[in-house]
Amino acid sequence: MKTKLKSLYQYRELLLNLTRKEVKVKYKNSVLGIVWSMINPLIMLLVFYIAFGLFFKVQGTGIEFFAIYLMSGILPWNFLANSLNLAVGTVVSNGNLVKKVYFPREVLPLANVGAAAFNFFLQSLVLFAFMLILRYHFSPWLLMFPLVMLLEALFIIGVALFLAALNVFYRDLQHLTEIVLMAWFWMTPIVYPITYITDKLPGWAQQIYFLNPMTHIIQLFHEIIYHPSVYGPTTSYLSTKGIIGTTAFSVGFVVLGYLFFTSREGRFAEFI
Amino acid sequence: MVELSEIGQHVLSDKKAIEIQGVGKCFRIYHDLNQSLKEKVINFRKRGYEKFWALRDIDLDIYQGETISLVGPNGSGKSTLLRLMTRIMTPNEGKISAHGKIAAMLELGAGFQPDLTGKENIYLNASVLGFTKREVDAIYDEIVDFAELGPFIDNQVKNYSSGMYVRLGFSIAINVNPDILLVDEVLAVGDEAFQAKCLEKINGFQRAGKTIVLVTHNVDLAAMISDRILWLENGRAKKLGDPRDICGEYHEFMRVDIEGTDYGTRRIVFTDVQILGGDGRPRAKFAYRDPMILRFAYEAAEPVERPVFGFGFYDHLGLMVYGTNTKLKGIQIPRVEGKGTVEYRIEALPMASGRYFLSVAAHTEDGLVNYHWMDKMFYFDMESAGSDAGYLNIDCDVQLD
Repeated sequence: MKTKLKSLYQYRELLLNLTRKEVKVKYKNSVLGIVWSMINPLIMLLVFYIAFGLFFKVQGTGIEFFAIYLMSGILPWNFLANSLNLAVGTVVSNGNLVKKVYFPREVLPLANVGAAAFNFFLQSLVLFAFMLILRYHFSPWLLMFPLVMLLEALFIIGVALFLAALNVFYRDLQHLTEIVLMAWFWMTPIVYPITYITDKLPGWAQQIYFLNPMTHIIQLFHEIIYHPSVYGPTTSYLSTKGIIGTTAFSVGFVVLGYLFFTSREGRFAEFI
Repeated sequence: MVELSEIGQHVLSDKKAIEIQGVGKCFRIYHDLNQSLKEKVINFRKRGYEKFWALRDIDLDIYQGETISLVGPNGSGKSTLLRLMTRIMTPNEGKISAHGKIAAMLELGAGFQPDLTGKENIYLNASVLGFTKREVDAIYDEIVDFAELGPFIDNQVKNYSSGMYVRLGFSIAINVNPDILLVDEVLAVGDEAFQAKCLEKINGFQRAGKTIVLVTHNVDLAAMISDRILWLENGRAKKLGDPRDICGEYHEFMRVDIEGTDYGTRRIVFTDVQILGGDGRPRAKFAYRDPMILRFAYEAAEPVERPVFGFGFYDHLGLMVYGTNTKLKGIQIPRVEGKGTVEYRIEALPMASGRYFLSVAAHTEDGLVNYHWMDKMFYFDMESAGSDAGYLNIDCDVQLD
């Protein structure tokens, strides 16, 4: 374990280079290049702003600035979805490398998460700029953004390591991931306020709902970006228990995922 | 250009670069390769497989500064052993440990990103090999020079010719200056000038006291540049030792192994091929200037218009030594049907010692359609006096003034 971590550290530059490659290759041969990463959320924001702000007034949610609410959930969700969708197949799709060169294989999914994190960060900056223009009331908790992002990144890395390793042996996972992500999206308070859940679902279902780590992570982002105490809904279902639980779960997941991945990476080359 | 005599002169030490102790690698050959979850669930624990030991009981210490070659026929496990050394795969038995930075050339340009430029790929590829940006900065110019890419270095790699591609791959692997260089069948890239450059670089490596492990089919090349050769056979070490000893024995061994094939539309089929001496009796060994009769029996179920019958002699590399056919001899066969024989009479064989392979063919007059081509399925040995090189024995005297 210690030597594995050491070798991962030795290959940190590879991680950086692969991350950079992931970011670059995505926008290959396009004139605007990385600017697309920023245009994307901007357009999304404008569409939401116009659609929900002007045409359909979202009623009964108690949410002002619904567009900001949506964005503060969708961006971190995309961080998760983009990371996992790419990471699940990364060992297989880089088969030519895996079969020909030795390097710590965990670098591959980590690079996917890194590239997605970079995009997430850029897009968040766009969102913040937009909020500035709107003269939005920023929450002082926004300073915690890097910390919340780190928490989410930990969780994602854990899941990504599991998926990437398992997918070498069971390729179905690649397809399954896409579907599960779609269902997972609706089981997380992104497009609806969490009060929908707490008002309408029976107690036992709520308990299951709150087992989802992403519920807590997205709520954290709502808290620090959307600022619910000013814009409503006033009742937030963030709990200390939930935050601590999610943190412990994420850290544990990274450790387990890493152990799982490294214990199997010696057999990757045979199975690809 | 590097003098061949210089290659193979290196700094040896008693420190081990790679230790291999009782290493075995086992692959599972699944009867039915079902890699999906559904089938896994349905056939839970029923999935049958056989164990296949690609390598077993390999013990080898490779010393720093040594050049060692792994030779052996296809499937003997030499590439697997190299892969174990690079840690791409882990052994099922035994232990393998390497001391020093390793660069492996298993496939040149593996991991190049087609959409990135040559320059970006240099940095990416070098970091895949475990080298830092600073290390690459120092040798960047050397890499580009060696690869002879010039201004193309700023082009996307997908636009490279295959030659440029492998040159760049080779150049990166060899210039990053590893302690141990593992090479798999890649010395045969590029044109002759580039190959000479590669050998020169390898020579420089040897003089700098670096360790090289080379996998190759070419035992002559192996003998030329290495200190020791490990000969693998069916996953086990058959012989380890001095290149020159092994080289001769290996050639002897591989020669027996002819892999002939036959193909064609079979409108004419050869039913019997005989290599005969001048007395009309089958023979396998001939001396210089011996006569030879080749007699081929054929059968054509339906009539065939204007066929051509021919044969050829080939050396062990598959190069044609001599060949002829009925058309070249000015004979036109209007039509054949049923059974028949063709006989060629050779007055005196002019070839030098060695094994020669025989191909027999029947084809259309224009040579575009083969009725039956038996490719190198037969052979005979020549035993000629004299030690001259080449295919032919030519009477030649030397005079000095």
